[in-house]
Amino acid sequence: MSKLEIMLLVLAFGLLIFTVEIVRRRRLSENYAIAWMLVALVGVALGLARPLVDRLSKSLGIAYGTSLVFALAILFLVGVCINLSMHVSRLESRLETLARESAFLRGPMRPGPGADRPTGADRPTGQDRLEPGAEPDPAPES
Amino acid sequence: MLVIIPALNEEATVADVIASVGGHLDADILVIDDGSRDATAERAVAAGATVLRHPFNLGVGAALRTGFQYARAEGYQIAVQLDADGQHDPADAKRLVDLVADGTADLVVGSRFDPNLEGSGYEIGRVRRIGMKVLSRRVSRQLGTTVVDTTSGFRAFSREALVHFADSYPSAYLSDTVEALLLAGDWGLTVVEVPVRMHARMGGTASSGSLKSAFHLLRINLVLSLHRVRRPM
Repeated sequence: MSKLEIMLLVLAFGLLIFTVEIVRRRRLSENYAIAWMLVALVGVALGLARPLVDRLSKSLGIAYGTSLVFALAILFLVGVCINLSMHVSRLESRLETLARESAFLRGPMRPGPGADRPTGADRPTGQDRLEPGAEPDPAPES
Repeated sequence: MLVIIPALNEEATVADVIASVGGHLDADILVIDDGSRDATAERAVAAGATVLRHPFNLGVGAALRTGFQYARAEGYQIAVQLDADGQHDPADAKRLVDLVADGTADLVVGSRFDPNLEGSGYEIGRVRRIGMKVLSRRVSRQLGTTVVDTTSGFRAFSREALVHFADSYPSAYLSDTVEALLLAGDWGLTVVEVPVRMHARMGGTASSGSLKSAFHLLRINLVLSLHRVRRPM
């Protein structure tokens, strides 16, 4: 076993242990834990099955086995990034929905009696006041 | 007593379920509308239920926790959980509630797998059946009580149980039913299982898909493996 393979194995086991530990402390949800544990297991497999990697890369026309591993790793990381950006996008739109709901729950602030009132036809009469709860709901998301 | 009904897009059935509950139990009914895009909330209110609406879909577990927090704040002594799609027969709810009311149990699970009960009417695929068997064995061993139907959403809770669950209730799919049993065990609550009849769904669609089920099964098994050594919720 080469030094490189031993290093890969150590790294993979380290990742496995670290993942389990942060799930144990409830710092990471189990959904992501499964993905990272899978990565660690693939790492172990690659460390143990070097000939397999070489044969696979040869069949794909890649001269240097290690570059196949790199290519796969980059692909995986791109996938993770896209997944995370999708999650962030969803969180942003949910946050907006929540902030808007909070605005309606707080209720509108209005000038008190004696304050400078707007004049004109569209002046609030007090009868068509905005009531929180009378507002249309923000569209629920799936 | 409060009956908590989590509902997502169940406008076709929710009113019938509420009427049926009202016919069998002397209880207030709370529907948690978990981000429905249809008229679930309106139908539920028209049928006489109190409705809390989530601004977007958070999942059954989160909906239930909203219900527990309402029950805690309003001082209810007993809470019952049942589905909005009509699968659970409110006629059985009385038996669940009785066990809580006489102090026998803090958490009563209505089991869908009783061979002695005629027409229990719950049929599932092979993969799912094996998965549920594994869950049952693992949960029963950790809990020290046999629970056959660990994923049943037909349950009754004592005041002590609902106060605990208002503070921490797992929201992920399967954790909301399976992990909740282990949490109840951790808190020293008594868990009892009672056989119930199941109806075919009156409407809506079952949430499944075999790859997704496999993932959730893997996930919940990881949760079960780590539960004993994990930091409490």
